[in-house]
Amino acid sequence: MDLGVIGANIAKLWTNYWHIYLIEGVLTTLKLTVFAVVLGALLGIVVAMLKMSKNKIIRFLITVYIEVIRGTPLLLQLYIFYFVLPELLPVFDFSQFTWVAISLCINSSAYVSEIFRSGIQSVDKGQSEAARSLGLSKGQTMTRIVMPQAIKNILPALGNEFIMMLKETSLASTFFIGDLMTAHLKIKGATYLMLESLIITGLIYLAMTYPLSKLVEAFERKMKNAD
Amino acid sequence: MKKLLALALTLALSLSMVACGSSEPAPAPEAEGTPSLTQEAGVLKVAISPDFAPMEFVDLSKSGQDQYVGFDVSLSKYIAEEMGVELEIMPMSFDACQAAVSTGKVDMSVSGFSWTEERAENYNLSDYYHAGDNETEQVTIALKENAEKYATLEGYAGAVVGAQSASLQESLVNEQLVPAGAEIAIYTDINTGVLQLKKGDFQVMAVATGNGDAIIAANPEIAHTGFVFEIDPKYVDNLILLQKGSDDLTAKVNEILAKAEAAGLYETWYAEAEELAGIDSAADVSYDDEGNVAQ
Repeated sequence: MDLGVIGANIAKLWTNYWHIYLIEGVLTTLKLTVFAVVLGALLGIVVAMLKMSKNKIIRFLITVYIEVIRGTPLLLQLYIFYFVLPELLPVFDFSQFTWVAISLCINSSAYVSEIFRSGIQSVDKGQSEAARSLGLSKGQTMTRIVMPQAIKNILPALGNEFIMMLKETSLASTFFIGDLMTAHLKIKGATYLMLESLIITGLIYLAMTYPLSKLVEAFERKMKNAD
Repeated sequence: MKKLLALALTLALSLSMVACGSSEPAPAPEAEGTPSLTQEAGVLKVAISPDFAPMEFVDLSKSGQDQYVGFDVSLSKYIAEEMGVELEIMPMSFDACQAAVSTGKVDMSVSGFSWTEERAENYNLSDYYHAGDNETEQVTIALKENAEKYATLEGYAGAVVGAQSASLQESLVNEQLVPAGAEIAIYTDINTGVLQLKKGDFQVMAVATGNGDAIIAANPEIAHTGFVFEIDPKYVDNLILLQKGSDDLTAKVNEILAKAEAAGLYETWYAEAEELAGIDSAADVSYDDEGNVAQ
């Protein structure tokens, strides 16, 4: 392999197709990631609450949900959501993009719920006992005392989940959803320059994840000092 | 806790609202001679895997439905036109294309399929269509400096030959080159194969002529060896994959294929696809100063 030729090809691919990588690809990747993590976090809170429920049946069902989602590959979940679920639930006539986004969101919810649960359980029991003995209701204790401390503890983990999801969205390119990896698939398919396009794609992913992980790190440091 | 419950309920409710808002797939009207389509009335959904120039690929200067080009896309457009319906291309990976047909997610897949026993068992297959020389000739390519060595069968003793997994090329290499002393190496994606060839994982790669031309246009260090496989006519041409049991639609498609062939449209489409693959992609990134530009 001639490095000079590879370099020249990279430059050519970039000059000709930068907009496909950046405007189409990066935007769609970010859109998918934000959708998956934000809705996944909301759903994750609900799942975490149910997991700590007193009802045995609910607890069992939620445990199954979490274990199935976390114990199977995301690519497999994407196929199931895209091909099998629409057959079972014909009322949900969603677009390709929506199904992919929903499966990413559900995948994220299982991970986020475990992050939330560990966050809530990491708050010292004495805190809620003190709140209860001061006359706060159960709900008030949760929302005023436990949650604020828990969220502070889990923000870095949520940040990492965002970074993970940003990379995982690349699997959605199986359905040519328009994300950064799809941009790569389209360009390598039309040009037969795979290595060159892979290098560009990798650098763009890195340009997104590296600042994010630095941000999470800085936040963690700040939290440490605040304690 | 109550607030959270309310939140959960709102979320569930809004999700179900979205579901209700979208229209249920209406059954296609049974117009005379128009077989019912699986998804919705008036739209023919076709799955393609657009990473296989010149059969199906993306015109990088366009977006939306217009970006999908190539021989199979021209054919799909023609079929939709003849049926008097709209065409919707659903892009996805090659494996997903087959799953999409068997689950009825799409009406058919037009993506350079060759005949195999398994496909004949699990799908309705259309009649053959003839995609220019893309599939008529199965050849080998190699690095330019040692391409000549592999022009004849004798050259393959001790050589490693790459072929795509579960492809026609894989069976051809096993049937014809392995007995001559070659060893087979499998790759999953044709682009990965090109990289492996350049890296030296194998010395020769078995491909369809059309794909070989497109690869060479973008990679001047690769050349045709001049070797051509002998093939059974049933492997030469392509066919369309339809859901098992969709006999009406299959019959209609066969009728349209016969019409296209009689009108000589295959040659036109293939020439157009080759030109697009050469001008809009390969030439953009080929090497002007080395005299190897595909025009």
